[in-house]
Amino acid sequence: MSDDFRNLALGFLRSAERYPHRMALEVGNVKLSYQSLYRAANSIAEIISRNPPEDGPPLTAVFAYRSATAYAGVLGSLVAGHGYVPLNPTFPPARTNTMLRRSECRSLIVDAAAQSQLTDVLQHLSAPLLVILPDSIIDVNEYTARWPQHRFVGANELECVSTEVPVWPSAAEDSVAYLLFTSGSTGVPKGVAVAHRNVVHFVQAAVERYGINEFDRFSQTFDLTFDLSAFDMFVAWERGACVCCPSRKALLNPAQFIRDSRLTVWFSVPSVALMMRQLGALRPAAFPALRWSLFCGEPLPADLAAAWADAAPQSTVENLYGPTEVTIACTAYRWKGRQSAAECEHNVVPIGYPLAGMKALVANNNLQEVLPGEEGELLMAGPQVSLGYWHDAEKTAASFVIPPDGQLTYYRTGDRVCQPKGDGPLRFRGRLDHQIKVQGYRVELQEVEALLKQEAGVDLAIAVGWPLTASGAGGIEAFMTSAPVDVETVRERLRARLPRYAVPRKIHVIDSWPFNSNGKIDRGQLLRLLEARL
Amino acid sequence: MSAGSGEYVRSLILARLEQPIVEMGFEPAAITDDFDLLTSGVIDSLGIVELISTIEQQLGIVIDLSELDPESLTIVGPLSRYIETQYLQLAQMRRSA
Repeated sequence: MSDDFRNLALGFLRSAERYPHRMALEVGNVKLSYQSLYRAANSIAEIISRNPPEDGPPLTAVFAYRSATAYAGVLGSLVAGHGYVPLNPTFPPARTNTMLRRSECRSLIVDAAAQSQLTDVLQHLSAPLLVILPDSIIDVNEYTARWPQHRFVGANELECVSTEVPVWPSAAEDSVAYLLFTSGSTGVPKGVAVAHRNVVHFVQAAVERYGINEFDRFSQTFDLTFDLSAFDMFVAWERGACVCCPSRKALLNPAQFIRDSRLTVWFSVPSVALMMRQLGALRPAAFPALRWSLFCGEPLPADLAAAWADAAPQSTVENLYGPTEVTIACTAYRWKGRQSAAECEHNVVPIGYPLAGMKALVANNNLQEVLPGEEGELLMAGPQVSLGYWHDAEKTAASFVIPPDGQLTYYRTGDRVCQPKGDGPLRFRGRLDHQIKVQGYRVELQEVEALLKQEAGVDLAIAVGWPLTASGAGGIEAFMTSAPVDVETVRERLRARLPRYAVPRKIHVIDSWPFNSNGKIDRGQLLRLLEARL
Repeated sequence: MSAGSGEYVRSLILARLEQPIVEMGFEPAAITDDFDLLTSGVIDSLGIVELISTIEQQLGIVIDLSELDPESLTIVGPLSRYIETQYLQLAQMRRSA
């Protein structure tokens, strides 16, 4: 089988054959060897394959959070030849329901933590679903009686599935490995469809770049709904390494988690490192076992990179960059101490150089390359450019483009960068639109504003990232000039529709809007208002 | 209730988090020692940083979390008592210095 069209799960399956007794996953207090995880995944895959849906795409939703079932579910979906659609029980159930409906999944894997939300999440879903509950030891008849149109499979039935014959799944050229929903500017989450070949290319480049081996132990700071989680899983499993997934609590004290789990590869958003520094955890040589310290998802402050390099002196610090649409990460910059400090702008570490096989273009509005030293939009081409937006040809056509003097399809990132001079690194300067990063999570301020307008019944509402942190924003605050509905009621309604990090912490009612000289609402002035209140 | 005592730290925590506690539908006076600030939705990771730095400022100490059991970090009673221990240790070091 050509590796170009291999299934994303193949790396795991090969490692499971080679290292059946090595640990593949540690999640909370649960430790699973490759063999155990393989068995759990295979029974799920078998159930999916035996119950082919009458219609719908080859996708399975994984509604789970930091549990063995979450990972067995991801692998089980892939082994069955399905892409996985991660759903997050820490999100409002109404949002999860929207994602599930938009994905048109006909099968769903649910862990113990997510089970209590089933009533809300299954609302308005009329098509028959296959619902797999590996953590449900109780009789699933209760569910069947309640939702007779769906088929429920519990732990008992899964255990009876025989999976003696190993399955070696394949993947067609454009079949989807995962479908992830990101914040959409119109108020509805948009799905990014990423193919097996996109991820496999990244994984192969990464295991080479980082020289991963079976003794490595990876962090999993990211939720599965964040595509960077795919790095931890598939790069580790490709070479027989172990994925260490902290509980939600352990994640609040990452320094202890790094030491207790004896991690060798750390990967997080810079916000986590900022939090650790604020908690006084970045002491010199605090993490002697780390080999690699990788950051991605938001700008990395130079002083933070330096502090981390001191705390993990045996590790190499890298700043990765990449939107979900270009699969995990597409550029990287290696921190080299003093030399790098000189390459930083405004205390922000450069995003570096395209990863193996990827191509960067810094272009103006007409998609023509700008001169060295000029600022432009970053466009990326290469084998990691994903399939586009799920069931949204219009948005896909607008963002995945072929420049007038080119042949490759480039993704327009919407990020402003500086065209390097000579062989200098790419430097991130900001966004072209109102997308921000809140504690590393991607948020379209327009999505928050659209929902604010609906829920408050006003014509105009503005959201800004606040408080500002060294890497982005800590949260969101919003402004309106009138409040027909009590602002606390509005916030409560938003909590039912947005992930927690995207809900405005405060809604300010101001007398009138500040305008800039172009007649646009002056967001800078609004930020200064918040500053003045401190 | 002396500065640095577990009771005092507890009152600092509840005062700092009064707004989110009320927002999540809890009554501040009815918060028990086993109340979990994280699973109840009162704080997130940024919240814990803000909370710890507020307490550090108010007590005039630097809190070292490395000895705290991760499961206890967001539970009102154990967190208050842990900070009390840190406060007493630092006070003793200052006296003997």
